Formats: sequence, structure tokens, C-alpha cells
Amino acid sequence: MATSPRGLVAVPQRIQARLTRIGVYVTAVVVAVFVTVPVYLMLTLAFQAPADAFAGGRVNLIPTNPTLRNFRVLFETTATSTYFRNSLVVTASTTLLSTAIAVSAGYGLTRFEFRGKSYAARAILFSYMFSPIVLAIPLYVVFFALGLLNSYFGLTLALTAISTPFTIWLMWQYFQTVPIALEESAWVRGASRWRTLWDVVLPVARPGYVSAAIFAFSVAWNDFTMARVIMSDENLYPITVGASLFLDRPTIGWGETMAVSVLICIPPFLIALFLQQYLLQGFNVGGLE
Amino acid sequence: MSTGTGRRPPLGGLDGRTLLVLACFVPLFLFFAAVWVVPIVFALWMSFFENPTTAAEFVGLDNYVELLTTPRFWEFLWTSVVYAVGSTVLSLLVGLALALAVNRRIRGRLGLRTMMIFPYLLPTLIVIFLWTFLLDQNVGVLNQFLVEYGVVDEPIAFFSSLQWAMPSVIVASVWKYGSFAFFIILARLQAIDDDLYERARVEGATTWQMFRDITLPNLRSAILIILLVRGIWMFNKFDIIWLSTRGGPIEATTTLPIYVYRLTFSSVAFGRATALAGIMFALLAATAVVYFYVFQPSKEVNV
Repeated sequence: MATSPRGLVAVPQRIQARLTRIGVYVTAVVVAVFVTVPVYLMLTLAFQAPADAFAGGRVNLIPTNPTLRNFRVLFETTATSTYFRNSLVVTASTTLLSTAIAVSAGYGLTRFEFRGKSYAARAILFSYMFSPIVLAIPLYVVFFALGLLNSYFGLTLALTAISTPFTIWLMWQYFQTVPIALEESAWVRGASRWRTLWDVVLPVARPGYVSAAIFAFSVAWNDFTMARVIMSDENLYPITVGASLFLDRPTIGWGETMAVSVLICIPPFLIALFLQQYLLQGFNVGGLE
Repeated sequence: MSTGTGRRPPLGGLDGRTLLVLACFVPLFLFFAAVWVVPIVFALWMSFFENPTTAAEFVGLDNYVELLTTPRFWEFLWTSVVYAVGSTVLSLLVGLALALAVNRRIRGRLGLRTMMIFPYLLPTLIVIFLWTFLLDQNVGVLNQFLVEYGVVDEPIAFFSSLQWAMPSVIVASVWKYGSFAFFIILARLQAIDDDLYERARVEGATTWQMFRDITLPNLRSAILIILLVRGIWMFNKFDIIWLSTRGGPIEATTTLPIYVYRLTFSSVAFGRATALAGIMFALLAATAVVYFYVFQPSKEVNV
């Protein structure tokens, strides 16, 4: 066996490969356990009655009597359904608004020339680096002055504000990959710009705006900070804010808390399962908050 | 892309074109003005007043001076730095390790990749539920194991002990954000040419040498971006800390975002709160300048 360039005694490559392989598998298993254990605990607690789950003073990790009792208690004793309705309203309107702004801005920024475009690019990236709380305080004082606190509209605006920088950036990059020749050939055949937009550009840009919509959706669905700042009326709380107060109540235990967690996780779960490739496209463009 | 305006049909319908330009940019500018520019300018303006919402009194930079001269501000700043650095570096290491593993053709790599998406997509609230349960003093699974195997005598109240609160918050953050580093690094790894490794192997390079001389240089910019961007996001992170510890115990996990929230909603000191938001804004802008000059991300689009 050759010695390494530095003259050290080399470990044979076969052994190196084996050691690397062991290291790789150990890493994979450790991270997999680290990631899955909390999720498993959530599921096992959500589907067990508290009496079974904590029988004998320790957590029962393998459910013997699966039940939907926790979900029933949740809907009977708390305003969970109201919170979910609020979340759905705000999330749907944020997704629509954010995607619409992103598509029109992305199209405009790639198809029209104007001076100062590089400033536009920097402004978008700068606002993308913002964290919700840094914008939340200014928005709070303005919404306070305008009377927009405690309204779906106010929260939608706030969530659209923190999701659009990235959705615009994504659409800007995406429209660059849509050749303008497609549009030109439609114009040559006499189609108007608007018609071309509807019939040619939007269908081609579909993967782009699906990614943008997924991103806007998850920002709105996951948001806690903006809702906590803007909504103080309990009837308007989205599920994240509503559920965050559950553990303070005597009637709600870990079983019900994990049950509501399972419900909140369903949309992200479906996205991860069925729309993975759109999501990963977002990472290729430069990451997501 | 060199689609100059010149290549467009000369009579592309001037009216239609103007309308389209307006339709693209007017909503954008109105929206940005309403939710970004106006609030930030308004908040900065408020930061120069005492009681800006009631009996406003112009005090110049007093709010800033008051903040910067209290030792608490510097303590909270330090806590923010500890949290940001700790959580960012650890998520990077977890993400890097797993990305290197998944990039090898190991069994179950697609499953691992799908699995890594979950923590990232789970709402922060759920992440905190899971970790407060896992680390709970009475019912927590971790304490059960630690006591059973004699590692500790007494269960530890992780989130409410001075010593353990910050590490616990960091672990929960790493759990959620490790996948951010993972996906960015994995994408970069898959872009490295396999021939490079093949040639190095023929030359007799060790695994470590290949990692140091091929893998790391290719990952350099990805790693720096993760450190910088994730770092500033963690520095300004509010929800994870608020939901897990409310900044306690005794301010052990109070970072600047928690402090600004307290000033706004507990102390109702809008003047100082907006001044603190102004300081955080300045820190963010400074980071952005570094980001723009070092990485030139705006080159990713044609301007």
C-alpha cells in the first residue's frame, strides 16, 4: 500500500472505506432517532387515554388501547374548531394574496427593463432577511393607529408582508427560466399581451407558483409571532395562538395537547408527502425562513 | 438572459403593454409601501418620542441612550448572541453530517430525506410542545431514562433551570432548523463532480484528505450563507423562546426579541420599544451589507 503524500503510514483504502461506511450509518441512525422520537411520542400520546398513557407513573410508549378520546375532549371543551376556522381563513387569504403579488411582480421584473432594478433586488433580499418580530412591532403601532388590530385583514396583510419577499424572489428566478420566445411566437400569431399571459405564461410558470403558494401557506399556517401581536380577541386566535394557551388550563393535559398537535401537523404532513419536489425547489433558490 | 426590449415586436400594443406594466408594479409598490416602508419609518419616527401614542414629547435620541446605557440591554444582547451562535453552529453540524451521509448511496436515503422535511414544516408551537414534553421534569421521557440508568439522581427541570434553559431551547431549535442546513448542503453536495473523488482515490488520497480538499471548498459558500442568514434569523427569533420559556427563568433566556416584545406589551413603553426595534433594524442592515458585498446574491437575477 502506498504511503500518503505526507509520509504517514496510510490506512488501506478498503479499511478507510469500511470505517467511513460505519460512520455514515451511525450518523444516519443517530439523526433519524433524534428526529423521529419526538414525533413518535406525539402520536402515541395523542391516541391513548391519559389514564393508559401515564399508567404506573411512567409514559406508556406502546399504545395498547388506541382511542380518539383526546380529540373528543378537545372539541368539546375548547374553542379548537373556531381557532382552526380562523387559521384557515387567514392562511387561505395570505396564500392567494402573496402568490398573486409574487406572480405579477416576478413577471414584471423579468419582462420589463427599468433603472434601479438592482435596488429592487436588494430591497427584496433585505426584507427577506427580516424576522417577523422586527417587523411586527412597527406593524403593531401602525395597525394600532389605523384600527387594523384584531381583524383577519390586518393579520393577512402582516403575514403576506413576511412571505412575499421570498415568493417574489422565487418567481423572479422562475420566470427567468421561461423563455420569452414562447410569448413572442404567440404575439406573432396575433394574441394580445393579456391573452398570452393567461394562455401561455401562467401554465408554463405553474411549478414556480405552486412552490410560492406552498411557501406562503406554510408561513401563514405556522405563524405564531404575528398573530400573537395583532390578535388579542380570543375569538380571532388562529390555532397556533389558541393552542399555545391550552397547557395553562386544568382541563387540558398532554393527551389533548398532542391531539391538537396532530391536527395542526396534517397540512404540513400532506405537503411533505405529495408536494416535496416543489418544496425542495425553494431550497435551491436560496433557502426558506 | 439577453432579451432586450429591442427584440419585442415594435407594435406589441403600447396600451396593452403600459397596462401590463402598471398591473405588475402598482400592487407591488402599494403593498410594499403599506406594510414595509410606512411601518418602519413610522416606528423609527416614534422612537424619538416619549409616550408617542398618548402625550407625545420629542426627546431626540434619549430612548436610544437610555437603552444602550442599561446593563440589561447588553446582557440580553449577549444572550441573543449565545443563542444565535449556538443554535446556528449546531444546526449546521447536524445538517452537514446527515447531508454527507445521505449523499452516499446508503439504504433508506430517500426516506431520510423525506423525514428531514417534517421538523422544518412543523409549526414552532408543535416543536415546543414536543420538547417541553420530552424534557418535562415529571412525565418527560428523557428524565425517566436518565434517572433509571442512574445518570442523574433527581429529574431535571430542563426548561426552568438557570443552567439548562438555554441549552434546552438551543436543542429544540436545532431539531427544527437542522434540516435547513441539510437541504442546502445536500443540494450543493450533489452538484460536485464525482470524477474529482475518483481521481483523488486513484492518487491514493485518504477519506479525510478528500473531504478537506474537495468537499469542504465546494461547500464553503453554502456554509457561510447558512451561518450568516440562519445566524441573523436565530438572533431575531422570537417564537421558539417565547413559547418554551417566556424568556425565563429570571431572564436567563431573554434575548432582544423577547425584550422588545416585553417593552411593547408588558411595559407599554412604545418609545423605548420602537428604539429597540430600530437598533435591531440597524444590526440587521449591517448584516445585510456584509451579505450583499460578500455573496452578491442579487446576481442570481438579471438586473
